[in-house]
Amino acid sequence: MKFLEKIRDYIRISGVAPIGRRYFIMNAFDGATTILGIVIGAHVAEITNQFWVIWSGLGATIAMGLSGFAGAYMTEEAERTKKLNSLEKSMLKKLGKSVVGKASRFAPLWAAIIYGASPAIAAIACLTPFFLSPVGVFSINFAFQLSIAIALSVMFMLGVFLGKVSGRSILFHGVKMLLVGLILTLVFLALKAII
Amino acid sequence: MIRRLVLDVLKPHSPSVIELSEALSKLEGVEAVNIIIYEIDQHVENAKIVIGGNRIDFEGVKKKLEEMGAAIHSIDQVAAGERIIEEVGTPQDRSARV
Repeated sequence: MKFLEKIRDYIRISGVAPIGRRYFIMNAFDGATTILGIVIGAHVAEITNQFWVIWSGLGATIAMGLSGFAGAYMTEEAERTKKLNSLEKSMLKKLGKSVVGKASRFAPLWAAIIYGASPAIAAIACLTPFFLSPVGVFSINFAFQLSIAIALSVMFMLGVFLGKVSGRSILFHGVKMLLVGLILTLVFLALKAII
Repeated sequence: MIRRLVLDVLKPHSPSVIELSEALSKLEGVEAVNIIIYEIDQHVENAKIVIGGNRIDFEGVKKKLEEMGAAIHSIDQVAAGERIIEEVGTPQDRSARV
């Protein structure tokens, strides 16, 4: 309980909450879009082995997660160090051991966890039908359809979340996000028709 | 035993005065806290902190302030003993003002 309170304090003091929210939406959207691309690509290529989709999806998920974690940590850490140095100059003292210094060290880690985990969560959700397909819950064709539906739903829900955050129409934002997924699907289908 | 402490403190904008006052009020021997911000800079702010209690531990207060990222500029008033004795005006104060 005390640990959670400490985390809450660090989040509040460092002001990392809005950044985390932005990272979450941006990267979960990235995760869903990437998996949607892989799934539609595999469907268009008429792949019949679900493990191909699972492994290529997992590869992309791990890569997105790792690159997100490392990238966010390094970027945020550099920014926070600069900010803390400037504050220390104004205070004429070191703040490393204070709650301000601790929050400053915690913020990059928090941002990195969100940046790394959000695409992975969205991607795993989209890949779930393919995990269930080998055990006979779904046919591969149904897994394709369900996965595309989940990816588009994730996109819509992220839009709804954005609408809620901004206090504007949740339906408008949801549809806006959904459109990106639909455009991706249409582009693929058009490509298939051309090639 | 210290009963009242008036401090001039420099602190970052965050943690806020609300968090700082809550943290100080939880210290042992502290019964009341009053914080007034009298100057705000780009990164920091100056605060006058008045702490009242029956047995204020100055080292504990100092440690808590440092933990919250603040620095004591000066100790502007201390009242200690069995009861609080207020500042008394004298004729010299008047002539000094003139």
